[in-house]
Amino acid sequence: MKLWWLWRKRERELEREIQHHLQMAATERSERGASRGEAQAAAKREFGNVDLVKEVTRDAWGWRWLRERVEDVRFGSRMLRKNPGFTAVAVLTLALGVGVNTTVFTAFDSLALKPLPVKDPASVVRLERWFSSGASGDIQYAFSYPEYLYYLDKNHGFSGLIAVSWPTQVLATPPAEPFADSGAARELLTLEGQLVSTNYFSVSGINTVIGRPFVEGAHQVPGANPVIVLSYPFWERQLNSDREVAGKILEINGTTFTIIGVAQHGFIGTGNPPQVPDFWAPLEMQSQLVPQSDWLREPSNRPLQILGRLASGTSLDQAQAEAGVLAQQFAEAHNELRDTIRLTLHRATYFGMTDELWFRAFAAGLMAVVGLVLLVASVNLANMLLARAAGRQKEMGTRLALGASRGRLVRQLLTESVLLAMLGGLAGLFFSLWATRLEWLGLTRLIHVLLGDGILVVPLAPDIRVFLYTFALSLITGILFGLWPALQSSRIPITDTLKSEGSTCGQPSSRSGLRSLLVGGQVAVSMVLLISAGLLLRALVRSETSNPGFETKTVFHLSLDLGSDPAKAAVAKQQVIARLQTLPEVADVALADRLPYAGTSSRPLLVEASHASAKGAPEQTLINYVSPSFFPALGIPVVRGRNFTPEEALKGLPVAMVSESTARHAWPGEDPIGKSLKLDLKFDHHWKGFEVVGVAKDVRFFNLSRVDPVYVYLPANAGQPNRLLFRAARSPQDTLAAVRTSLGTFDRALLPKLGFESLDSFMRTQEVLPQAAAVFIAILAVLAVALAAIGVYGVMAYVVTERTREVGIRLALGASSKDVLRLIVRQGMLPVTTGAACGLVVSSAISGVLRAVLTFPANPDLLFGVSAFDPAVYVALTGFLATVALVACALPARRAMRVDPVVALRCE
Amino acid sequence: MNERYRNRIELLQGTLDLLILQTLLWGAQHGYGVSQAIRANSGDLLQVDAGSLYPALHRLEKQKWICADWKISENKQEVKVYRLTAAGRKQLMRERSRWEQISDAIGGVLNPGKKESAS
Repeated sequence: MKLWWLWRKRERELEREIQHHLQMAATERSERGASRGEAQAAAKREFGNVDLVKEVTRDAWGWRWLRERVEDVRFGSRMLRKNPGFTAVAVLTLALGVGVNTTVFTAFDSLALKPLPVKDPASVVRLERWFSSGASGDIQYAFSYPEYLYYLDKNHGFSGLIAVSWPTQVLATPPAEPFADSGAARELLTLEGQLVSTNYFSVSGINTVIGRPFVEGAHQVPGANPVIVLSYPFWERQLNSDREVAGKILEINGTTFTIIGVAQHGFIGTGNPPQVPDFWAPLEMQSQLVPQSDWLREPSNRPLQILGRLASGTSLDQAQAEAGVLAQQFAEAHNELRDTIRLTLHRATYFGMTDELWFRAFAAGLMAVVGLVLLVASVNLANMLLARAAGRQKEMGTRLALGASRGRLVRQLLTESVLLAMLGGLAGLFFSLWATRLEWLGLTRLIHVLLGDGILVVPLAPDIRVFLYTFALSLITGILFGLWPALQSSRIPITDTLKSEGSTCGQPSSRSGLRSLLVGGQVAVSMVLLISAGLLLRALVRSETSNPGFETKTVFHLSLDLGSDPAKAAVAKQQVIARLQTLPEVADVALADRLPYAGTSSRPLLVEASHASAKGAPEQTLINYVSPSFFPALGIPVVRGRNFTPEEALKGLPVAMVSESTARHAWPGEDPIGKSLKLDLKFDHHWKGFEVVGVAKDVRFFNLSRVDPVYVYLPANAGQPNRLLFRAARSPQDTLAAVRTSLGTFDRALLPKLGFESLDSFMRTQEVLPQAAAVFIAILAVLAVALAAIGVYGVMAYVVTERTREVGIRLALGASSKDVLRLIVRQGMLPVTTGAACGLVVSSAISGVLRAVLTFPANPDLLFGVSAFDPAVYVALTGFLATVALVACALPARRAMRVDPVVALRCE
Repeated sequence: MNERYRNRIELLQGTLDLLILQTLLWGAQHGYGVSQAIRANSGDLLQVDAGSLYPALHRLEKQKWICADWKISENKQEVKVYRLTAAGRKQLMRERSRWEQISDAIGGVLNPGKKESAS
């Protein structure tokens, strides 16, 4: 702005300087006797071209580049205003393309890039462990308390190091007074708390709105610091923002805690998962809050995440190197814990997984898909620019003839396309603000089903990164898709264009070939998206009726915290099972290593068979250790042979049951009973043999989308670390209440962590992903088809105008209007059919990949058994796209039919 | 008119700067005054056209060898007046000595005998 003002001032001064020069020259001449008019004319003649002098003088200022850009922008916006229709369509098209991209990027930004709500988040890092076994997931962020203390003592690279547990459930008895609404309702509340080191608030730079944070001091006496800090949402929701809350008392798991403060508004924890706890408590109180285990002394128990604030002057690399050395030292001091190969530090964000490769790949794939929509939109822009360039040939020719350089013309045209792209980007930003709200709803549902109800979805507010992204995207689009048309339209023979109206007869120009190519590309992209959407929608319909093959509504998973000592836990589990079996509300109690639709475990399987599996190469198999009661509890019939006996389960004898499809696959046409198979259970090429005793009916236990292809059951007992399932004999409500009461009388300490989940809720996670994928792709496909239709229409409209005279001649020579229609439509449909064919080829290639992926038994079938080459989808959608393109072609072609030969020829 | 144009000498590249700086050494002057002074001092032989003069003035101003002030003239008009700066004075000395070298060199080439006797 200031620059502009300065520039205006200089312009004014130059003008005045030159006027003064002319005046002086004229005065001198008239003093010598010339008449006033003559003197002025002579002065002007001597001075020369005033504008030219100004121009060359401005060059001396060294602002020429800037000035030309400003002129380009001015001229460009004038051109855009002159063609409001063209501008509106171009901007709208780009707005859709950019808007979709911005919307998806906003979600990515919020999930993966937004920093934690702590002070100076850029210097806060999360420690991540890498296992020699290659194990990955949340356990990579898990550390033990002794490990934390070791790092805390020895490090130099951090100005602060904090430990924070994952949210843990507790039972609280609220005091009567603050929860005043009804004295009768003093029942137990289940709260989520996080145990933190006492420097948690000071290092993260979080204040309290009421009261104070914890007093720092890492080595306080266990159990001697019964204080908690409440989270703002909990204080607001449950305590009605009670200003007098500090000093009040809350009884948690039977211990009295004093509320010392409320954390500041907007502090929603340190993420991973992004869940706002109800309160924070010091780690010294672990045995009161998590009674079954001892975190403070056991280096093998890893319930904590560690975050650090880099000391000023320490680089991430230095801190990481130091942390690596410390981890080595700690592992050497604790011989049994040599599972860590290295430590890395990551910028702390809400989710831990966003650094992982699969998330990056998923995000990149998503961006690529929405990028396709932008591509279609951009091709529209390029096409429209090309068509318009043809209409501006005369202007270009004139400017070249007047001495403009070709570079200057290209810059001018580029400025126009970038202007268009910027307007489109701005409109797209507004469009995405609206679309983001929808996206937030969808994402919230998705995350709640996949990760749990407590997970907070960070509001998808666009921030500076989103603005920069949109800006960069628009700029690149404007340059990339404006450059080609600009180069094309500035490369013209001057004399030809000036002599005539340009070629309007005979062969279509080379540019229309380029336009056809672009249209073909659009149609191909639309075709791919349409077919994908069609297949996914059919799959969605299938998934609604997909039957897992076992009972889900009345079977519950019982989650318990039996402590960290495996021997004690096994005894306790035995007792729990015995108690449950006495309850009349519980029909069956079963044990299983794997829950349906959770976890991945597939191991190499070798079938010992003389002839069936001639290959002899190991295959992947899905394995579950189950108790004999598993089959009746889930209602999975044993179709051949027999179930495991209790003795086999207890002793872990080498017997196996297989699914029907496994039997069919491994021993086709033979009786599988008595056959043997070998399994590499520990991935160490140590093969263990099992005898097949029974065949169970096929189910969809691993993926709802397909029958498990190879599934082997091995016997399990309560001594192994496995899950408890039970089937309700009465209504679920009564049953769960009865189980809770019974277990409460057995051991009160079990109650805080007690949880029930019906197998039905596991199934939901399997249904929500195909829904999300189908809806997402369908929206993109509709957008792409609409954009492609606009593209086809635009090109055809231009072609018709270009060929008006030719059509006139044809009509004059006796062609019927139907011939003309056929001619024009044929020209328009040629790129469409080529593009559609290319799209079909790409679609079937993708379908082929999808099908190939299914050979791995653990992979889900995205299509729920719908054939990837489903003819109905292919035929119907090809027809649909062809119809849309035909209409887009026919509308301009009808105009050609009505050409009056007399009028058309008179133009010549 | 024609006579005048025939006698005009195309200025050597870079000499215009020297002439302007030299002209301003005698006192501050506006653009028209500079062009008139050069013309008068060269006996009407050197004619500086506006298309060369103003870019040169603005360039020298940008290089801080001359600076401009707005003054009120006798007929109550605002006039842009240029004057030499200290840096401009040094630049003038440099350009002058360079010019004298060139002039000597060309003189030597044109009168070889004189050069021999001098050396």
